[in-house]
Order: sequence, then structure tokens, then C-alpha cells
Amino acid sequence: MEKIARNSLDKLLDLLCLTPLGAAALVLLAVLPMIPPFNQEYLIRWLISAAFIAALSIAFDFTAGYISIVNFGYCAIMGLGGYTSAILAERIGLTPWVGMLAGALTAAVLGFVIGIVTLRLRGIFAACLAWFFGLALMGLATKMVWLTRGPLGLRVDRLFGSASNLSFYYLILAMMLVIYVITRWVTRTKMGLAFKAIGQNMEAARTSGINPVYYRIVNFTLSCTLAGWLGGFYAHFYGILTPDVMHTAKTVEVLAVAYIGGRGSLWGGAAIAFPFIIGMELIRSSLSNMPGINLVIYGLMLMVVMIYYPGGFAHLFDTYFRRPRNRFLGYLVNGVDYRPNSISEPPAAPIAQKTIG
Amino acid sequence: MWKIEPLRILNWTKSAAGISILLSVAAAVFATLSRGPHVLVNTVVMGGMLALVSMGLALVFGVMNIPMFAHGEYFMIGTLVAYYVFTPINAYVGTHPDSVLNALGPLITIVAAAGVGALAGVASEVLVFSQLRKRSRENWVMNSFLLTVGLSVVLINGHQLFFGADFKGIVRFWGGAPFSILDVFISRDRAMAFFLATVVVMVFWVFMTYTRTGRAIRAVSQDETGALMVGIGLNAILMLTMAISCALAAVAGASLLFMFPSYPSVGLEPLYMAWFVVIIAGLGNVLGAVVGAFIVSLLKVLTVEYIGSGWDFVVPSVLIIIILVFKPSGLFGTEVRGVLDK
Repeated sequence: MEKIARNSLDKLLDLLCLTPLGAAALVLLAVLPMIPPFNQEYLIRWLISAAFIAALSIAFDFTAGYISIVNFGYCAIMGLGGYTSAILAERIGLTPWVGMLAGALTAAVLGFVIGIVTLRLRGIFAACLAWFFGLALMGLATKMVWLTRGPLGLRVDRLFGSASNLSFYYLILAMMLVIYVITRWVTRTKMGLAFKAIGQNMEAARTSGINPVYYRIVNFTLSCTLAGWLGGFYAHFYGILTPDVMHTAKTVEVLAVAYIGGRGSLWGGAAIAFPFIIGMELIRSSLSNMPGINLVIYGLMLMVVMIYYPGGFAHLFDTYFRRPRNRFLGYLVNGVDYRPNSISEPPAAPIAQKTIG
Repeated sequence: MWKIEPLRILNWTKSAAGISILLSVAAAVFATLSRGPHVLVNTVVMGGMLALVSMGLALVFGVMNIPMFAHGEYFMIGTLVAYYVFTPINAYVGTHPDSVLNALGPLITIVAAAGVGALAGVASEVLVFSQLRKRSRENWVMNSFLLTVGLSVVLINGHQLFFGADFKGIVRFWGGAPFSILDVFISRDRAMAFFLATVVVMVFWVFMTYTRTGRAIRAVSQDETGALMVGIGLNAILMLTMAISCALAAVAGASLLFMFPSYPSVGLEPLYMAWFVVIIAGLGNVLGAVVGAFIVSLLKVLTVEYIGSGWDFVVPSVLIIIILVFKPSGLFGTEVRGVLDK
């Protein structure tokens, strides 16, 4: 095979696991708040919540798309991270930067526990167990009023004192990129292959010498750690925490974005989150006399995607746009390794329907 | 006909089902003696209704392999229909106190709710689940689960969109003085709710055991291919199953309207509870769900009684997590687990 010339840009992109198009999209997101319609404060808030959901959906897909266990208590774990960080900041004055990491740590411990407890269970049973963990956690957050102030809401200092939300936006974009790169690094090693094998057929994976115990626990712990870290951001961005952040409806939101984006792709959810969340917010604010219409559309979209195109956006993209004849376009969507004629199969095309087992 | 076999009874008391049932009975008796009979009454009334909701859930699990997340929304549909049917009847009865509707109104309401619930079930089967079934049966359990999640979002917010988010409730179905049993006053509504639940469970059991259609449903739940081979029309059975299960949830919703006023997310609490029930009873185990419903409702009542309200999600869910860890197939586990594992 001929040696492919790589310049330093390609090396950097390879390190970040991005295609040139992905990198361009990130640059676009970074300059978006400067471009006129998006430089208003409320649009920046929308962008932040979109980036937040995008980051969560990447970390969620790391479990759901790879080892095929839907962590139905995901936002409860995110909320646990948020509460940890907020309480540490309020009680002992810990700086939020360390607090976020502490939140990630508690979430990691819980993820480890859930990982161990769900080991004997599969599919829907594991999802239920994670869900019940989430319900119990939300009940605790509601009732432990001395610690969390319950439904009254816990006031939290914001991370940046400035009135503008711009610094929050860049922070969450960076966090999203970090989460993407971490999950990609893990999944492009042998470990990712093992995850997929376990997700598709646990018995076959075990026969091939993969120890599911180890991989499932690692996967759960990592995915929950990332959720806890994001929870810290949530707490210090919104400035108030109520047990509602742990509600199943929030998990459903993340789940919908991840699945419409395409399971097992990691990037699909992130790509779809921005147009999706901003579209939803637009519908909600322009049709404010019809409360709930945005969520109806949202549920319908999830159903339509599940019925007609279970692979989601990532599968669509891999099928129709990954293999253009044009060399430059091919470079743009695949990176430097792309050869229009020599590749007979789509390079990074997990057939999403089959990856969830 | 009934022979007493001491060995079998002894073995049963040592099984998970026996231990848990005996423990719950003991706990119920103890709590009743120490805190008063209202514990028992609350458990029984709530357990009856919970049995209806979770029986439907277990039925859909067992027959269609759908882990239904939208089941609470059929409960919500039941409350909604009951509200819109009963309010005009009540207004009419207010002006015509001697009318026959005075006694029949609540029954008409509940029957109407059951009908609309069954229609909603058929509609969701035709529009949603059969569409997915036609296209792909791969990963059916997980895909249909996500589909029901979407359905739940649509129904909850559809309610908010068309009927508003306010509480739509009634004061009572049946007027008159409360009954007095064991020194506890039970309102007529509660007594009737329990009575209705008993009747519906009985009818359902007879239907499933003795009629051809009921047997066909059970055949499909045991083996779909085998059922097809002996000439059972699969699509009709699936549609019927969905209709029955949704009608059961709607009946529960309608007859509990005096406790749960209708609002968009009223179905979530019964949904969580019903999931607890089917998980501890074993997925797809319909009769186990009836027993499980009383156990879960006892857990909830005891939690409220001894620890305080608001903890009634924490304690049951922790207990159920523990049960799942040690007995993943549920207390009265069934064979269907193999399918639902995927």
C-alpha cells in the first residue's frame, strides 16, 4: 500500500479523530456567536444548551451505541455530578473547576456501582435497573432538603462572573470536544472493538476471549464520569439546581438526540443536536400560544426515525455522502486516508441497525 | 379436587415467591396491628388499581415483547375521558336528581374510558408498532422500547397542547356516606374502585383461561411461530392484546379520577409503580403481576406510614434494585425472559 503523505494538519486531525469537515464545523460553531443573528444573548443561551445536549449525547452514545445498554438514569447521574459540585462550592468554598472534577468522581463511583450491579442483566433489564437508580437518586435529591434544598432549588455561584454567556459557550464547546476525543480514543483501540462485540453478541464475544465484566464496567464508569463532569457545568452555568434535572424526561431528551443522530457513531448526536435544539427552541418561542407543540414534534421525530430509519443521521450520512467521486470532497468527509476507487466498503460505516444487539 | 400436599406447601414457602408473599402478609398484619387498619385498606385499594395497570403492562410484555414506556399515558387517557364524560353527567344529575344516570353515571364513565382506551391501543398498534414490525424485527425489544418513549412524549404533550396543563378532577363518583369496616371509614369511591378492580381481574382471568381467544393470546405469548402454525391470526391477536392492555390502564385511570385529577403527566406515577411490579413479578407474568401489585402497593403504603411521604420512590426502588440483583428474573420468574434479554 502506498504511503500517504500527511502534513501536520492531517496529523492533528487524526489525533483529534476529526475529519476535515468536522473540524470546519467546529470552527464554524466557534465563530457563530460573532455572526449577526447569533450574537444575541438568547441565541447564545440556545447554543449553549445545544452544545450541552450534544456533549451529553456523545457520552450517552458511548454506552448505548457500543455496549447496547440504554442507561435510562443518565441525567440522574449527571445531576449527581452537578449537586456534588454545587454543594462542595457552597459548603466548603471549593472552586468550581475542582468541583466539576469532584462531581465527575462521584458520578464515576456511581457508574462503577451500576456497572457491577447490572452485570448479570442485559438489554431492557439493565436499562430498567439504571432507571430505578435514577428514580431513587431523584427521590433522594427531593427529600434530602437539608443538603440539596429539595424542590426549592439550590443556588449555585456561576462559573464566570461576567454578564455575557460567551465564555460559557466556549467552555462547553471545549468540553464537548474533549469528551468526543476521549470517547473516540477509547473506541478506536481494541477496546472499542471489544465493546462492539459485547454489544452485538455477548456469548460470541465471550467465546472469543473477551471478558465482558471488565469492559462493561469500564464503559459504564467512563460514560458516567463524563456525565458527572457535564453536570458540574450545568450547575455552574444555570446557577440553580432542582431535582428536576434528574428527571427521566431529561434523559429522554438526550436519548432522542443520540438516536436521531445515529447510534454507535458518537458524532451523529453532536451533529444533530445543534439544528435540533435550536429548531425546537424556535418552535417553542414562536408558537408560544401552543405549549407543548415542540415536544410533540420532537416525540414524533423520534418515532419516525425509529420506524423508518433506525440508523439515524449518521447512517444516512455514511450511506450517501461518505463516498463521493470527487477527491477533494472525499478528503473533506473522510480525511487523508480516503481513496475514491480502492475502497469498496464505506470506511467508517457501522450498520447501525446491527450494532445494537 | 384440592388435595393438601404438605411437602409442596413446604417447598413453596421456601421459594422466592413463597418467602416474599409470606413476608408481605406478615408485614401487612404487623403494620395493621400497630398503626391501624387504614394501612390495610390503603394497600388493598391501591393494589387493586395497580394490578389493572401492571397486568396490561405484563400482557404487552409477554405477548408482543414490547417494554411499554407509554403505558401510563393510557392511564392518562382514561382519566381524561372520564373527566369529560362524567362532568356533563354530573351537571345533568345536579338538575335532575331522580334520573337513572345518578346511579349509572360512574359506570357509563368507566365503560366509555375503557372503550376509548381500547381504541387508543388499536390506533397505536396500527400506526406505530405494526409499522415497525413490518420493517424490521431486528432488535425488536430495544427499538420498540424507544418507540414507546417517543409515544409517551407525544401523548403527554398532546394532552397539554389540546386540553391544557391544568388539573381536571372531580370530587367524587358516588355520593353518600362512607362505609365503615373495622372502624375505618372507606369512601364509597375507594370501595367501588376496589370492587371494580376485583371484577375486572376476575373477568380477565376467566377470559384468558377459558375462552378460545384468551388461549390464543397465551399461545402467542409462549411461541409466536408455533401459534402461527396452528392457525392463529397473529395480527388480530396482537391488536386485541394491545386493546385489552390499554383498556385495563384506562379503566384504572377512570376509576381513580377522584384521586388522580387529569393532567398531562398524571400517568408517570402509575407507570413507575407498574414497572416496579412487572420487574419484581417477572416480565410477562400476568398473574404474578396481580400479586406483585399488592406487594408494591404495600411497600409504598408502609414507606409513607413509617418514613414519610416523598420517600415512596426511594425505598421501593432500592428494594427492587436489591431484588433484581439477587433474582434477575423476578420473584415469580417466567420463561419469556430469554426474548426480552436482547
